[in-house]
Amino acid sequence: MIRIKRLSVASALLVASALAAAPLSFAAQTATEAIQARQKAMKGIDGAMESLVAIAKKQAPFDAAVVKKAGETIASHLTEAQGLFPAGSEKGDVQTWAKPTIWSDGAGFAAALKSSHEAATALAGVKEEAAFLPALKALGGSCKHCHETYRLPKR
Amino acid sequence: MSGPSRAKRAAVAAVVVATAGAAAFWLLTAPRPLAPSAIPAHTPDLANGELLFHAGSCISCHRPAKGTPGADPALPSGGAPFKTPVGTFYPQNLTPDDATGLGRWRPVDFVNAMTRGLSPSGRHYFPAFPYPSYRNVRTTDLLDLFGYLRSLPKVVSPERPPDVPFARVARRGVGLWDLLALRGPRFSPDPARDASWNRGAYLVAGIGHCGECHTPRNLLMVPERSRWLAGGPHPSGEGEVPSLRGLVARKRYKDAADLTLALQNGETFGYDRLSSGGMGEIQENLSLLPDADVRAIADYLVSLPQAPVDGAGAAPRPSR
Ligand code: HEC
Ligand code: HEC
Ligand code: HEC
Repeated sequence: MIRIKRLSVASALLVASALAAAPLSFAAQTATEAIQARQKAMKGIDGAMESLVAIAKKQAPFDAAVVKKAGETIASHLTEAQGLFPAGSEKGDVQTWAKPTIWSDGAGFAAALKSSHEAATALAGVKEEAAFLPALKALGGSCKHCHETYRLPKR
Repeated sequence: MSGPSRAKRAAVAAVVVATAGAAAFWLLTAPRPLAPSAIPAHTPDLANGELLFHAGSCISCHRPAKGTPGADPALPSGGAPFKTPVGTFYPQNLTPDDATGLGRWRPVDFVNAMTRGLSPSGRHYFPAFPYPSYRNVRTTDLLDLFGYLRSLPKVVSPERPPDVPFARVARRGVGLWDLLALRGPRFSPDPARDASWNRGAYLVAGIGHCGECHTPRNLLMVPERSRWLAGGPHPSGEGEVPSLRGLVARKRYKDAADLTLALQNGETFGYDRLSSGGMGEIQENLSLLPDADVRAIADYLVSLPQAPVDGAGAAPRPSR
């Protein structure tokens, strides 16, 4: 009797702790996935920036098709990023450099994403060399603005 | 009978020790300002003063608070909050207004503030004001900077005391910290290096105050000279600061020309590690310097080996 009681108490505890842990680990997993996905998106943006920077540094000739492709890639990564900062993803199993201000100032963060997206779209539409550098600087300035306010620096 | 007298003796001893301790504290933390006679006669070069104002990022800490009616954000009229782990400061008005700014300051007052962290009345400033770096700036350069500040329009903007617990006592305690932190010699050029390298080293160690963030600190919050510019926790307590050593060996930059372009343009040219943790403002201020000065900073930085090696000659000259 006693033994059974003990067993059932133990199993009840086990079930209870499993139930309690389930939503936790589920949240941790999605947070980790969100962090990894947004870091991948940002790295994708960085990759697309390379061809643009090469033109800015005059290491490559101005080519409207290259600019269009890079601008569109960046814009689509920024659209993707919109969904990758869910509440609860301030922390995960991997290190994140997202600042808590993203969640305390959601409107400001959304506006920073939006203006960066607009700058990327405008750059994608550049047809003439004279308009290229100002458009690239506007885009880079939008990344800077968000990173100044919403990203922690790393070593 | 021996009981009370022993207790009495112990009490007397405790009072003596405490008094001696307090006296020692008082003596050790006493302000030691420069005398006015230590300041040479000098006609300020205002253009050089303006250059130093930008190189020192003065505006980034001394700007007016957002939304101050009628305030020109380009003038260092002070009042914007500056958060630190110790508390929030509202760095003061640096315009030449008599009542609320530097209008009544003598050149020696400015030099004492910038090199010894002392106010005209002998109060210790908190090292949230980077005087431990600014002390490496030559006196004539400081007088040029003072001349430039005095040439700005006067703005009335009264001082707001910092939100720092026990600020009065803590200020006195800063005097003890200063004994440790201001102990080493000031910057001196390295005759074995060329002019551009020395100019860069001078700007980085002095007015640029790059070491305030990029050099890790020991438990007493004193920058570790043996790990000059090696990176570490951010002084604000949020995030980390990268190393400025081995920038080319670690493929962060192709060469000094690439780093120059990075410091001049920052993230607007896709250099993504120059924005967060206050670096964005520093970079914007650096972009206002003449090309040759930014290049000098880059020349100096790329010369720093990746690991600070132990032993003599390891740390670059300005950190010794
Ligand atoms: C609205 C805010 C925002 C905008 C706009 C933005 N970023 Fe980011 N970026 C972040 C945040 C937040 C992180 C840190 C993410 C993390 O660690 O979880 C980040 C990280 C990065 C990283 C580091 C990725 C890694 O993990 O190594 C790079 C590179 C980057 N961004 C490039 C860019 C570029 C280039 C642009 C502009 C085209 C840009 N970002 C626009 C917020 C933004
Ligand atoms: C990192 C922020 C920071 C930067 C950069 C900075 N200051 Fe300050 N400064 C402060 C703080 C904080 C104080 C107030 C310290 C205190 O109250 O103990 C201060 C105080 C001063 C004072 C004393 C003002 C008074 O009324 O007593 C002077 C003078 C001064 N700074 C000049 C400068 C100059 C010139 C520059 C640029 C070369 C500069 N500061 C750059 C943070 C900064
Ligand atoms: C207020 C603190 C602070 C000061 C002062 C400061 N830095 Fe920085 N610096 C940073 C931080 C934080 C980063 C990383 C920024 C990021 O990740 O977006 C950084 C990044 C850099 C980088 C990029 C390193 C890399 O790996 O690409 C360089 C170069 C640099 N700083 C040079 C300087 C120079 C030169 C000075 C002095 C004129 C200086 N910094 C002063 C905080 C500071």
